Amino acid sequence: MEFHDDYPEYEKMAAHGEEDGKKLRRTLWNVFWIMLVITIGELVVGFIAPGKGWTGSIYLKVFFIGFTIIKAGFIVMAFMHLGHEVKFFKYTILGPYITFMLYCIFVCLNEGTYSGKAANRTPIDQLLVKQQEDLRAHKHHGGGHETAPEHSPEHH
Amino acid sequence: MSHSVEIDPKEAWNGGQSPFRLSYGKVFMWFFLISDALTFGGLLCAYGFIRHKYSDVWPKAENVFTHFPFVEQHIPLAYVGLMTFILIMSSVTMVLAVEAGHRNHKRGVLIWMFWTIIGGLAFVGSQAWEWYHFIVGTDVGALRMVWDPEVQNYVEKTIYGANMTVNEYGAPQFANFFFFITGFHGTHVFSGVVINFVIFMNALLGTYEKRGHYEMIEKVGLYWHFVDLVWVFVFTFFYLL
Repeated sequence: MEFHDDYPEYEKMAAHGEEDGKKLRRTLWNVFWIMLVITIGELVVGFIAPGKGWTGSIYLKVFFIGFTIIKAGFIVMAFMHLGHEVKFFKYTILGPYITFMLYCIFVCLNEGTYSGKAANRTPIDQLLVKQQEDLRAHKHHGGGHETAPEHSPEHH
Repeated sequence: MSHSVEIDPKEAWNGGQSPFRLSYGKVFMWFFLISDALTFGGLLCAYGFIRHKYSDVWPKAENVFTHFPFVEQHIPLAYVGLMTFILIMSSVTMVLAVEAGHRNHKRGVLIWMFWTIIGGLAFVGSQAWEWYHFIVGTDVGALRMVWDPEVQNYVEKTIYGANMTVNEYGAPQFANFFFFITGFHGTHVFSGVVINFVIFMNALLGTYEKRGHYEMIEKVGLYWHFVDLVWVFVFTFFYLL
């Protein structure tokens, strides 16, 4: 039996001429500009968030994580070409990974929040958190960047 | 770009052809990337666990990474924004090298691979600079409890910067995870630059021209985009959130 799984055959199918290349390059540059605008937008929000008192709010988290996933989607689908592969392959790659990671994220964040509650802390954790809190409130703290109160942007 | 030959699902898995319409090498590069992505995913999940656990003593990144080269004032996030830009840019040059390879355009491959390597080196250098400032710390330092072996107890001491046991900016776990995850990512970038260089030399010597196709560029490109992909997540979870 002749074995056809030699890469040139598949690679030749991906080959294209000058015309298609021009179109493809335009798409790729468009993806780049979108990603650049998203990144700059994220940085601007990250820059003004402490001053506006947004730090730690759920909206900010959704904003950052949402745009991160959009950027990841662009990289995987356009740059890594997964969007153009056959359906089987897309699901083979993404399905198990996303399923497992969703589970892992749920478990880690859930357990982290639980064990971080004051009532659930182990003695050594209590000591560590207390030390850090005491040092934060300490007068001779040195005036490093971390000494300013949580919400003040003017310590720079 | 879409594959011209449609596959009959009944025939696809009968052997003699790739049901994915992909070469062996590319499929296994994807499988390797999945395993690598699980490693990074596990590390970031562990980071999320510790961060949620110590959320009240966790330092804020905009107070930690405020330096910018040749600028006296502190500009939070600007430098890491530049690093992100460099990496996304080098990802674009990589995909343009792949596109040139599909046209069997040797000169295009070489030019874009060259810029990809330059971008990778710029990123690794930037990361070294960032680590340096994180390790050295601020001029004023901060008071921390440090283990003194002579008195066998913790004593208050002014410390500067961060290392694996103490961190000027807050919980020491922040420094541990920062060094480990960005270090692991930086190792990937560095090995990516080395592989890119090897591929660049092969293309320069005409290996792929002789072979008739530039598939190797595409496989290495997958790895390089993956490195960029990981950075997008590291950037969000370490610097923005």
